[in-house]
Formats: sequence, structure tokens, C-alpha cells
Amino acid sequence: MSGVIEGGWEFVVAAYAVSAAVLGAYAASVLLRFRGERARADDESERMPSR
Amino acid sequence: MRAPSVRSIALVALGAALLLVGSWWGLVKAPGEVFMGDVQRIMYVHVPTAWNAMLALTFAFVCALFFLLTNAWQWDDRLEAAMEMGVVLSLLLCMQGSIWAKPTWGVWWDWDPRLTTTAVMVFAFGGILALRAFVDDPVKRAVWSSVACIVAFVDVPIVYFSVKWWNSLHQAQSTPQTVSSAFHWPLRINAFGTLFLWVGLVGLRAQVAALRRRGEMAPPLPEKRKAAGRAPVTGGAL
Amino acid sequence: MKALFVAFRKDLLLQWRGKTQAVAIFAFGAATLLLFSFAIGPDSSALRQHAAGFLWLGLLLASTLSLAESFEREMEEQALEGLLLLPACARTLYYGKAMANWAQLALLGMALVPVMIVLYDAGTLRLLSLLAVILLGTAGLSAPGTLHAAMTSQTRARQTLLPLLLFPLVVPVLLAAVKATSLVILGDPMEQFGPWITLLGAFAVVHWSLGGLLFGRVVED
Repeated sequence: MSGVIEGGWEFVVAAYAVSAAVLGAYAASVLLRFRGERARADDESERMPSR
Repeated sequence: MRAPSVRSIALVALGAALLLVGSWWGLVKAPGEVFMGDVQRIMYVHVPTAWNAMLALTFAFVCALFFLLTNAWQWDDRLEAAMEMGVVLSLLLCMQGSIWAKPTWGVWWDWDPRLTTTAVMVFAFGGILALRAFVDDPVKRAVWSSVACIVAFVDVPIVYFSVKWWNSLHQAQSTPQTVSSAFHWPLRINAFGTLFLWVGLVGLRAQVAALRRRGEMAPPLPEKRKAAGRAPVTGGAL
Repeated sequence: MKALFVAFRKDLLLQWRGKTQAVAIFAFGAATLLLFSFAIGPDSSALRQHAAGFLWLGLLLASTLSLAESFEREMEEQALEGLLLLPACARTLYYGKAMANWAQLALLGMALVPVMIVLYDAGTLRLLSLLAVILLGTAGLSAPGTLHAAMTSQTRARQTLLPLLLFPLVVPVLLAAVKATSLVILGDPMEQFGPWITLLGAFAVVHWSLGGLLFGRVVED
């Protein structure tokens, strides 16, 4: 493989952007699911017959 | 249990911060490479993602083993979290590899053994996540995904070796391995950044899995109270 | 050992009784081989080049039907629990079933060879070598296939889950078997056949061991 690759910044930016987007979206989804599960758990503990 | 673990949130924040620093360093401060010019900067996210994808799936394998040995639910929660994280990182790795391949080799996919094995791993572990979605019994779900995870993980080196050999007969190119010392720092910072990020996310995700599982295994509850105006259900033993 | 033979014989007997299914699976495999040729076009040399690939893809697709079916009977009337009550341990059941599945897949493979020879002009005289590839390749499919079929046959989306789980795992079998079969059909000037066969063998050894170790947990209650 010979020669020098000129430029290519758009690929670099794409790679970093995709990485940030994927990791950010996943982190957001985990947090959203956490809130959802907690809300459901709180809701159910309200409905539990009193001890 | 109600609150997200402080340690996990701290790890995620720390990881994200490190990634910002490392990425800025790699994009701005580090010099361009001799042959690949600026495209080489993709390595500062690609290599850390590769290391951490493998680490996450190895951790998943360990969780699977521990679950089968101890039958403790925490290991199944962590297994679910680790597999999901591993699949996300592996998928990201394939996307980064593709973006790297286009300017370097001129094609979007070049059947590089490591990247091809990663693609197979996405399907293998993604399939196990699908299996989990279709099994209602929590015990069976946990045991089966542990078994499937162990088989899939043991298979990875065989897949890698067979693809490497299959590909070597077709092309001589390989993705450059060596990184000279000028480039170590951004790489290391990003590697640790990604590590803390995924460990923190796995911690949180495992909490989500635990909450969901407890909800599943809880006894059935009385109906929700009707709208205000009706007499509330009197408390008492069911 | 005797228990193993009994388990093996039971599954073979069940397969023999359900041989119309086996014929249907063969027909499915042959149909896929035909469809592959439509996908490529009537280019004899191209078809011959890729004959090995088509054979193994067809066999792989048909194997999901045959593997899934091997556990269907256990699901009816909770026969699986009945089996597990017997003195034979789960490991013996696994190996008996895996061996029966292996036999069925190997027969299917051998039956598809004439179809391949005719459709793709992919004849060869090295039949023993071809047989070796088919035997080792189907062994590699049968072990993980039996293990995963035991799991997926008890789920809701069994038809989709088995191929979804199995196909990534058996990528080495596909690569090695196609390569080895190709060398048999098209010629092997550099003697590469041996190493590919060894890879198939190693894969089979790993997965037959792993399956035996893990099957007990899969079917326990």
C-alpha cells in the first residue's frame, strides 16, 4: 500500500460523530428505561396491600 | 434500589469526560500520520472501542459462568446488561471500521478478520438478546442465555481463526497494527474513558434488569383504585 | 454406554417413522439449490465455481427444519419431562439426539450432492473426500444445533430463533466446508484440503464437548 491519503476529514468527523451518537443514544435509553422501571415499581408498591 | 447507583453515574460522567479530552487531543493536538494523514485519527476512537467491546463480552461470559455456578440473580442482571453493552460496542465498531475502510481501501467492507468476527459477534449475542425477549420464565431465560453466551463466546476465537485463514487466501492487506508513541496518550485516555463509560452503563442497566425482574416475579396485585369519588378498597389481607 | 445406544436408537426410530418429513426437507433443500441457480443465472462456469457454497447454504437452511423437528415430538404431551425421569442422564439424551440429528443431516447432505452435480455441473471423482467433508460438516452443525433446538423449541418464536442463534455460531463450519468442498470439485493444487478438514474436526470436538456439558442445565426444571 503506497501513497498518502489526502484530506479525509469528513470520514474522521463521521466516525467521531457516529461514536458520540451511538454511545449517547444508548446511555439515554438506559436512563429512560431506568426511570420507566422505577416508576412502575413505585406504582406497584403503592398498590401493594398495606402491611 | 430506587435510585440509580451513584458509583455508576460517576463512572459514566468520568468516562464521558475522559472521552472528550482524549478525542480533542486526538483530533486537534496529535500530529497527522505519515501515510494515512488525518484519516488515522479515527484510530483514537476505533481502537478503544475494539478493546472495550471485547472486554464487555468477556465480562458477559464471566457473568454467564458465575450465574450457572451460583444461581444468583445479580449475575443474570449483569449478563443482560453486559451482553447489551457488548452488542452496542460491537455494532459501533463495525460502523467505525466501515467509515475507516472507505477512504483507506476504497470499499465499505473489506472482510478484515477482526471486523468480520465482530460482525458475527453482533449477530451471535444479539440473537441471545432476542432469545431473552421470547422466554417468559425468568429462570429458564437466565439459564438459557448463560448457556448460549458461553457457547457463543467459546466460538469467537474459532470464528476469528477461520475467517482469518479464509481471507488470507484472497487478500494480503491488513489493518495497520502499530501505533507510534506520539499517539499513545489520546489512545490511552479514550480507552479508559470508554472503559469507565461502559462499566457505569452496565451498572445502571443491571439495575434496570433487576427492577424489571422483581416486577415479573412479584405476586399479582389488586386492581388500581377507581377514579376519586368511589370508596377506596379497604386494606386487608388478600 | 448402553443408555447412549438406546437413546440414539429411539431418535433414529422416531426419524424413520417420520420419514415423510425427511423427504419434504430434502425437497426443500433441492428447491433452494434450484433457486440459487436462478439467482446467479444460467452461467455454467459461475455456477460450478460456487456450487460448494450453494450446497452448504442449502444444507444449512434445511438443517434448521430438521433440527427444530427433532424436538417437536418432545414438546407434545410433555415427553421431555418423561424422558428426564428415566435413569439415563441428560448428557446421554443429548448425545443420542445429536447423533441421530447428525445421521439425518449427513444423509440429507449426501442426497443433495447428486442435485448439485446435475444443476451446477459440479461432478467429482473424489467421493470419499466429499463424504469426509459432509460427515464432519454436519457433525459441526448437529452439536450446537441440538443444544439450541432444545432451548428454542420451548419458546414462542421457535422458527425464527433457531436460525438466528445457530447461523452466527456455525460460520466456521460454513467457511471450512465450502472451502473444502470447493477444493474437491474444482481441484486442489496446493493441498489445502487437509487443514480445512482439521478445522472442521476441531470445531466438532469443541461443540460436542460443550453441548454435553451444558445440555443438562438447558432441560432441567
